[in-house]
Amino acid sequence: MTDRLSDVDIGVDSLLETAPCGFVAFADDGTIRAANATLRDMLGFDRDELQGRRIESILNIGSRIFYQTHFFPLVKLHGRAEEIFLLLRSKGGDDVATLCNAVRRQRGGEWITDCVLMRVRERQKFEDALLRAKKAAEEANEQLELQAMELEMSEQQLLEQGEELERQRALAEDANRAKSAFLATMSHELRTPLNAIGGYVQLLELGIQGPITEKQADSLARISRAHRHLLRLINDVLNLARIEAGRVEYNVAACNLKELADAVLPMVEPQLQSRGIRYSLDIRPDLTAYADHEKVQQILLNLLSNATKFTPTNGSVAVTGSVDGERGERVRLVVRDTGVGIPAERLARVFEPFVTTKAKGLGIGLAVSRTIVEAHGGRLWAQNNERSGATFRFTLPIAQAT
Amino acid sequence: MDTSVLTRNNVRVFGQGTQPMLFAHGFGCDQNMWRFVTSAFADDYKIVVFDYVGSGKSDLNRYDPERYSTLSGYAEDVLDIVRALDLREIVFVGHSVSSMIGLLAAHQEPDRFARLIMVGPSPRYINDPPYVGGFDRKDIEGLLETMEKNYIGWANFLAPAIMKNADRPELSRELEESFCSTDPVIARRFAEATFFADNRADLPGVRVPSLIMQCSDDLIAPFDVGEYLHRTMPNSTLRVLEATGHCPHMSHPEETIAVIREYLSAR
Repeated sequence: MTDRLSDVDIGVDSLLETAPCGFVAFADDGTIRAANATLRDMLGFDRDELQGRRIESILNIGSRIFYQTHFFPLVKLHGRAEEIFLLLRSKGGDDVATLCNAVRRQRGGEWITDCVLMRVRERQKFEDALLRAKKAAEEANEQLELQAMELEMSEQQLLEQGEELERQRALAEDANRAKSAFLATMSHELRTPLNAIGGYVQLLELGIQGPITEKQADSLARISRAHRHLLRLINDVLNLARIEAGRVEYNVAACNLKELADAVLPMVEPQLQSRGIRYSLDIRPDLTAYADHEKVQQILLNLLSNATKFTPTNGSVAVTGSVDGERGERVRLVVRDTGVGIPAERLARVFEPFVTTKAKGLGIGLAVSRTIVEAHGGRLWAQNNERSGATFRFTLPIAQAT
Repeated sequence: MDTSVLTRNNVRVFGQGTQPMLFAHGFGCDQNMWRFVTSAFADDYKIVVFDYVGSGKSDLNRYDPERYSTLSGYAEDVLDIVRALDLREIVFVGHSVSSMIGLLAAHQEPDRFARLIMVGPSPRYINDPPYVGGFDRKDIEGLLETMEKNYIGWANFLAPAIMKNADRPELSRELEESFCSTDPVIARRFAEATFFADNRADLPGVRVPSLIMQCSDDLIAPFDVGEYLHRTMPNSTLRVLEATGHCPHMSHPEETIAVIREYLSAR
């Protein structure tokens, strides 16, 4: 130890030489005056190799800048520094993480900064993990903020879309009301002159205004047929308009369905017979709906006349009725034919007004029928049969047994 | 006089002279760093010292992350003070990054500045061959990491925000005494604004005469950088100090004072 006099002068005695922490003393210009064996071992330097070097030469580059910008001003201005993290650089170029406490004081005729350096290994790992977690949290936070902004934007867009939809819905409703009003008015305006035509044709046919020739009588019969057809179409349109506008009254009462069906039959019987179509009816005599008799008749007539029109010669049309619903709260009427069926693309739309598969007619009958059924709280729907033809079913509330 | 700027930047004015000497601290520190040299000029000059917003005892509530993300934001601080005090014929003394901040301010109001004294200046710290700045990008990232490690123990490290310590003044004081900057986020942003800056294009157009004080063996501003500045800036004087390191005004105040005094008297 006698050759280490200079170290002793500067304050490194045998106890400090081997203390369990690094020790280094340097002047204000950074020149190292002394270092202990623990620090030399930590960094892989031989005895006397550190004296005279600059303190920055045993720091990694980041810590060198930190030393100049933070550490040195700190000890110079405040005389001490505590718990400063520094990465030292070993002789072999490896980073050695340390925590440093320092005090600057006058010793041996100059200002000396004495530093103890504690090596940090485990703590370094924890701190690295902490920093990584912090960065991840900050990134996640940024992401979340971004997403929140996007959500806010899409919420705004949804609100705007909702408002737009509401506007369009109001417009559509207005248009629909205008259409119904237009149809009702037009039908009425058309019927008045049409009634005049019918009346004068009748007068002519009856010969009240003078005798007519056979040829004239034939022409008048044609006019009369055309007049009746046109009147029926206009009545249909008027009917739909009134129903859609909610201006129809329902006279609801118990109505016997077998009797009702029997009453409808004569209206289609001529066509059934002329085409050789078999007709069958299967409704229990006591099956009774709670409905508007006249309107249910209208529905059944519409379904039967459709079935007849689309069923070829020698086909069949069947009407059945039964109790329906889990608690028997409904009746169900079914009209089934062996006709051509409904083209798949039309199946979903046959109940819309003016959608038809017929060459003649406006396509109003089914729309009116469905509106009437729904006004009763029932349902009307159509299906194609597996082999041929179509089946229309509708339900109505059952009449309570008296 | 806009006194709000004076409290914002913790401006202090003293001295018997009329010509102002405006001292601007560098990154990592505050106006205290000048205390070893300012007294030497107080008899002949009006001494003005201050803290940049985010440093020292400045008003942290006035910190604007966008403004202070580049050096021009810090130059605005200088100009705000210059205008608030209506300073003219200014001898501007900037340490390290403040040399470039002063240069930017002088570009804005060249008529107010008489001299630029640059202590350890560098227009760009990162090498850009053939230009030698002394550092690679990863070195600066190493500094940022070391800074982070030293901020881990700080109260607001995990929930960084501009410190609102009105209810805990003792905490603010404690932090001021540690690193002269009271918020790790601000410190990091100042470091990035400093070390990723490139002010080489601002050098040739400077009209104000300047003194480049180049330290011996300065790791942060190597000798090549001082030479480059001298070559590129018109009306510049290069003085190489015997002082080593990067903070001669703290480590070697006598030499620093002598060199400044000599430069100013040679006019």
